[in-house]
Amino acid sequence: MKIEWTKTPIGRRKFLKGATALGATAALPMGFGGSALAQESGTLRVRAYGDAPNMDPAHSVGVVEEEIHSSIYNKLVQYKPGSEWGWQLDAASSIEQVDPTHIKFALRDDIGFTNGHGAMTAEDVKFSFERIIADETESPNKPDMGPLSHVEVTGEREGTIVLNEPFAPLWSIALPYITGNIVSKSAVEGAGGRINSEPVAESGPYLRASWSPKAKTVLQRNPDWKGDAPAWDTIEIYPIDDENTAEIAFEAGELDLTRVSLGSVARYRDGVPNGGTLVENPSLFYVWLGMNLDHPKLQNQKLRQAIQHAIDVPTILEASYFGAADPSTGIIAPGLAGNRAEGLVAAEANVEKAMALLAESGESNVTLTLDILNKTTYTTMAQVIQAMLAQIGIALEINVLESGAFWASGDNENLQLVLNRYSMAPDPSYATAWFTSAQAGIWNWERFRNEEFDAIHSAASAETDTAKRATMYQRAQDLMEESGAYRFITHEATPVIHSSRVIPALRPDGLSLLRYFGKA
Amino acid sequence: MLIFTLKRFALAALILFVAVTLMFLMIRAVPGDPVQIMLGPRATPELQARLTAELALDQPIFRQLIIFYGNMLQGDLGTDVFSGRAVTQIVFQQLPFTLELIFGSIIWSAGLGIFLGAYAASYPNTLIDRMVAIASVSFVAAPAFVVALLSLLLFAVHLRWFPAIGAGNGFWDRMEHLVLPSFAIGLSWVGYIARLVRASMLEVLGEHHIRTARAFGLAERRVVLVYALRIAILPVVTVIGVGMGFLLSSAVFAEIVFARPGLGKLVIDSITTRNYPIFMGSVLVSTGLFVVSTALADLINAWLDPRARSAK
Repeated sequence: MKIEWTKTPIGRRKFLKGATALGATAALPMGFGGSALAQESGTLRVRAYGDAPNMDPAHSVGVVEEEIHSSIYNKLVQYKPGSEWGWQLDAASSIEQVDPTHIKFALRDDIGFTNGHGAMTAEDVKFSFERIIADETESPNKPDMGPLSHVEVTGEREGTIVLNEPFAPLWSIALPYITGNIVSKSAVEGAGGRINSEPVAESGPYLRASWSPKAKTVLQRNPDWKGDAPAWDTIEIYPIDDENTAEIAFEAGELDLTRVSLGSVARYRDGVPNGGTLVENPSLFYVWLGMNLDHPKLQNQKLRQAIQHAIDVPTILEASYFGAADPSTGIIAPGLAGNRAEGLVAAEANVEKAMALLAESGESNVTLTLDILNKTTYTTMAQVIQAMLAQIGIALEINVLESGAFWASGDNENLQLVLNRYSMAPDPSYATAWFTSAQAGIWNWERFRNEEFDAIHSAASAETDTAKRATMYQRAQDLMEESGAYRFITHEATPVIHSSRVIPALRPDGLSLLRYFGKA
Repeated sequence: MLIFTLKRFALAALILFVAVTLMFLMIRAVPGDPVQIMLGPRATPELQARLTAELALDQPIFRQLIIFYGNMLQGDLGTDVFSGRAVTQIVFQQLPFTLELIFGSIIWSAGLGIFLGAYAASYPNTLIDRMVAIASVSFVAAPAFVVALLSLLLFAVHLRWFPAIGAGNGFWDRMEHLVLPSFAIGLSWVGYIARLVRASMLEVLGEHHIRTARAFGLAERRVVLVYALRIAILPVVTVIGVGMGFLLSSAVFAEIVFARPGLGKLVIDSITTRNYPIFMGSVLVSTGLFVVSTALADLINAWLDPRARSAK
């Protein structure tokens, strides 16, 4: 059957003409739409890997929220941007460790809180710090404050931080990080003691202008900020999980800065689109292969050592990270006290030694299970390890788990081998904390128990001599490696690309310090 | 029609109850301690115990289910652990983004699909018909994630016609942000609907009442658009109703690839963080959306075709 349309007002030719005209009309504004996408000169657009619903530093659980908190709140000291870890004054006009347990500070006199909460005083500092350690606050960040006793207020803007015992990490992960944010006492008390998704009073160089959940956070310059003026009028922070999406958004000109996947580093080394720049920073995170010391199949130390020596770390890194990450020697990254220049087991495999150790162990027909997170990096890594262990006659079964199930593996007594990756703050104590005997079966999945290690972990936090501290943490990692329960793999890397408009201010591990970002 | 409507919505309520109960039981069957995952490694045992009690996780599952439905009937879906905000507020804040994506996709894909199908059926076995057939099958065969990535690279990165990420602010900005995601998840529906309408139209155009209409001398355009198309699009209404479910699942990946807010993203995040209150709130609303849309499709069908009302 054929129906004649020729007598109708819309014939084939008319349809084509109309469609073409419609298409052209539609395309025109879209073309202009492209220019509408162009950056406003005062707006910085950056990507965060998650949303930031929580404006309470006491209940902040990660770097995404801290990126915002450190812009809208002040701390006594802030991390200094650059390639070496250090701090610089922020709300404090002076700060001094007068003895191992007392730190005197004086506040600047030009910082005020919004919403009529007045000038920042030493009472606010006291309230903010003591609130973190108070049981009723139930802050998951309480351990960062270590043995903090209290804050003595000695003047309107002067005070002394008092510790129960010396605590070196106070300067590296407490004062300049999440727990160091100073909130307004009157505002928080007025809000019932808890800040939720709305900051009740801000004091930093930026104010949080708006938050669209899962879409965007907008920071705007604080008109009452008396310190060094921030370079950008507005900062838009986009929560984007997927690094590939973030890379596309950057290439489309919609982002000024984003972390990129390690797989993209080689491409960006050849050139970043739109005249951008690639910055490669080391990361503090640590990745390792762990072995459950309580599992009947892994009781033999020679077997564990055979596994350590059979794994060729450079090959894993080439396959999984495309050569963009370096081998690690332990859980403490370069740049931090306690990093080891070399591990006890070389990064390269020694198959002959591995086979000899396996023969010494007396084990045969060994079959093991490796639990991993369901991410491409880990599946690739696991497959490479599977092939390497097969070389010495160990059969490996890979068990891929989604994140919720994987991160609940701590109490899994049947766990055998596990590929793991922990996040890290810039102090070695943050790493060793998870491998103490008390953490066995919680976050110490290898069930590594060593009295000397536990003692080092306790003592090293109180050691204020950096050189001595470094030696202690190096010994702690030796103990871990000697147990045969660990094959250290990498600290990964934090590659970041930024547009030509931006002078980024990054921590040595590549995380953004937004308040210090400059304009090119 | 009233009895049919009441019966249909009673069935919808039953389906919703079964689906939500299943989801409730399934998320609890998945390994992983929600309290430990939600609070992170540094939470104190006291805080963990408090949250466990708050979420009623220390109660038997059957009791948890009763508590959930009891609270739900009072309009209380709980509170988000991370932000302290009400779950209803969080879910309903995300819902409009998902709805605009789904309706945007349906509107353009159904419009184009019906047009192409009707046009092809009007010229059966001609070059136009074959071209539409090839295009339709190609659209159906193109995986949505491939279309999404290619359209991003072409229209956002290379041509810079449309934005790549986000949902936009204000009406026109939001429409502009909707183009690529709705294109990506709607394209296969164009092909599917075009094939469906073509087949349906060809069948209808051969029926007696069409021949009678022509015999009475009615204009061909009127015969096709009024008498034939009205009946031919009936299966499309049903398909669109059921298609809401598929579009909801497609919206998940679109929200990830295009970094859009929305219910799909909320569900995924809540599963990985074992955030039970958010998960159940999202599931309740998205399942409700699906159940209501299929019920509405049935009602529209019954309205357009009275035979459907008495169908057993």
